[in-house]
Amino acid sequence: MCEQAQDYYHNNQNEFHHIFPENLFYIECFSGAVLPTSGSIYLNDEKLRFNSTAEANAKGFATVYQEMSLIPSLSVVENIFLGRMPRKGRIIDWKRANEEAEALLSKMGVKINPREIVSRLSMWQCQVVEITKAMSYNPKVLMLDEPTSSLASNEVERLFNVIRELKKQDIIILYISHKLHEIPQITDTITVLRDGICVGRVNTKDVSHADILKMMFGETKQRHRPEDVLPLDKIVLEVKNLSRRNKFNNVSFKLKKGEILGIAGMLGAGRTELLKSIFGADLYDSGEIYVNGKKASRRVSPISMKKLGLGLTPENRKEEGLILIHSVLDNLCYASIDKTSNGWLENKQKRKAAADKQILELDIKITDINASVNSLSGGNQQKVVVGNWLNNQPEIMLYDEPTRGIDVNAKQQIFEIMWEQAKRGISIIFVSSELEELLEVCHRILIMKEGRLIGEVRPEDVNTQQLYALSMGDEIA
Amino acid sequence: MNVNKVRNMILDHIIEILLILVIIIMSLISSNFLTVGNIMNILRNQALKGVIAFGMTMVIVAAQIDLSVGSQVALAGVIVARFCRDLPGLTGMSVTSACLAGIAAAIVAAIIMGVVHAYAQHKFNMPAFIVTLASLNVMYGLAGMISEGFPIANQFPGWFLQIGIGRIGVIPVPALILIAVFLITHFIMTYTTTGRSIYAVGGNVESARLSGINVFRSKVIVFVAVQLMCVLASFMHSAQVASGSYSFGRGWEVDVISSVVIGGTSMAGGIGKPWGTLMGVLFMGVVINAMTILNVDIYAQYVVRGAIMAFAVLMAMMQSKAKA
Repeated sequence: MCEQAQDYYHNNQNEFHHIFPENLFYIECFSGAVLPTSGSIYLNDEKLRFNSTAEANAKGFATVYQEMSLIPSLSVVENIFLGRMPRKGRIIDWKRANEEAEALLSKMGVKINPREIVSRLSMWQCQVVEITKAMSYNPKVLMLDEPTSSLASNEVERLFNVIRELKKQDIIILYISHKLHEIPQITDTITVLRDGICVGRVNTKDVSHADILKMMFGETKQRHRPEDVLPLDKIVLEVKNLSRRNKFNNVSFKLKKGEILGIAGMLGAGRTELLKSIFGADLYDSGEIYVNGKKASRRVSPISMKKLGLGLTPENRKEEGLILIHSVLDNLCYASIDKTSNGWLENKQKRKAAADKQILELDIKITDINASVNSLSGGNQQKVVVGNWLNNQPEIMLYDEPTRGIDVNAKQQIFEIMWEQAKRGISIIFVSSELEELLEVCHRILIMKEGRLIGEVRPEDVNTQQLYALSMGDEIA
Repeated sequence: MNVNKVRNMILDHIIEILLILVIIIMSLISSNFLTVGNIMNILRNQALKGVIAFGMTMVIVAAQIDLSVGSQVALAGVIVARFCRDLPGLTGMSVTSACLAGIAAAIVAAIIMGVVHAYAQHKFNMPAFIVTLASLNVMYGLAGMISEGFPIANQFPGWFLQIGIGRIGVIPVPALILIAVFLITHFIMTYTTTGRSIYAVGGNVESARLSGINVFRSKVIVFVAVQLMCVLASFMHSAQVASGSYSFGRGWEVDVISSVVIGGTSMAGGIGKPWGTLMGVLFMGVVINAMTILNVDIYAQYVVRGAIMAFAVLMAMMQSKAKA
């Protein structure tokens, strides 16, 4: 990945740089968490090489990762100086620690009490503390990886004020983000990475949204689903005015038999939460769900939704989809536990047959059916999650990011599985952050933004750039 | 490859191998060891805590814990004893009827406790550790109140005593109960969807829930099962000493959990077999018996028991590492 992104950064001091789109691996090279296989990093014409995060910190590189790394039960000052609290002899010097933390925070232009417990702070304040922690290393280069991904829009503005404050202090900032509209507000130059290759570096003021989108997606060839995968007219699932506080609002749509319906949207648009509520894994506040014309009770659960013919492959296969310590065989038969048994008695033959069927049909590569599912590759694990549900013969399948973290081949296989299911009359809702996948696979795509459905498109009518723009809430240019 | 297989085999069956080794060594040292009388002795001694250990295996496989087992042993015993003592005088019913009523009351109390544990853990997300630690005290206190602070002795009808002291042929009744409970838990855990669900819940509760498995039901089953097995152990214990007392079962949870862990059940949940627990129970029984025959000081015995438990966990860690 990274070996191709060999370009070095000859940033001027006080330049505000923006890498786009997110490339975690890149960040890891800079922060010293991963070594680059070739190429070098230069700062002020000095060649640098880091073997560890600590070394990167010492050389003036500090990183704020997308996932929050604060310890919620500790105070702000303890988090900032975690592992290196100022001491008087062997005893922590609380007075000095608090003063230093206060000084750092005021340099950022915010008022946060360093004695406050982190769990009582709002999200943007946590993000500021996170940045303060990075700033306490006195970095020359500060890397921010999707710092706004978990913030509400009013919080984003406050965070930007902090970043602008830092900009005045002669610090190079690498700002990594998916969110197009943030870029003109705070960046000076933009670097676009695609599949690990630097595809361009431009001045922010010279380019428009459309230009950046073009750089991000290039002229990709659009593949399409086979012609014979066609939905029938029968409505199998209808969602009416479904709402869950702070997650999604007033969502309504219909799903036809044999249809593949995509839901596009940015991270945090509420797609995962919507699927979970439809499946009964989370409760919703108001609205109605009809399965095959019958209204589902308000107090639904995965157990009752399973009986109605629904299945869900969760976003996070390791934590929510699989039981890693158990065997491939077991993992293929959990959802179908009542179908692969004689009443309350297990049936070994039925279980084995069901597992073998999925291994064959989904082309799952295994060495031993009794080996733990943990030993499989990501793509094969994902197929086990899918097979687990297919054994239950669902009528409606909800796929939440089924292609995350699996290789290109496995992705294509997952798509073929979906088409095959659709041909057999299974209806599918497909959520993915990779919008070109939606265009390739779906009959119809709903667009979700900040918990609301804001549009619907047919894949024939738009390209990836346009779909991306729509998901951001822009009009199609 | 072959070396690995042999190593894994040995690690998988370490407890069986050690059990056989101890038996061989002991039968060489002492001619009294490998006699029918002594073997029955071991089984009878291990039966009480052993029965509970099978229920505890289910609980730990479901990634839960029940620390209240000892207090339930005390509670069930005093309930039956109090019924036998007072009910005939109050209502004029026979001692047998009173005893049966006491047994029914003890079972109902155990089921209620099990459901309360499952409910508190599941609905309020309280750690089972804390919930059952609380009821350990509650049930101990209730047992003390019911027995008014004294053992209730010599109230049971004769047939009830047979549960503890009876024999069928040469085999003591408690040993038969131990084997029966083993077979039942083995059957549930290996051949039923209920058992499969318990493994799933312990392996990854969120994955199990999202696979449409009834998590709450599984928890209720394991928590009720272990409490019912405590009732059974309590009856055997009370029958053996012909009395019920609030002090019975004090500290048993340590030995019970030891046997389960020595049998290879993972405290993290999702892994463990009743067969392993049976081996753990027998191993502890044989070691304690051996130490008694060899006249090992009683306090030194505790040191050995603790060391065995630590060793067993170390083995389990090596086992999972070897497989990773």
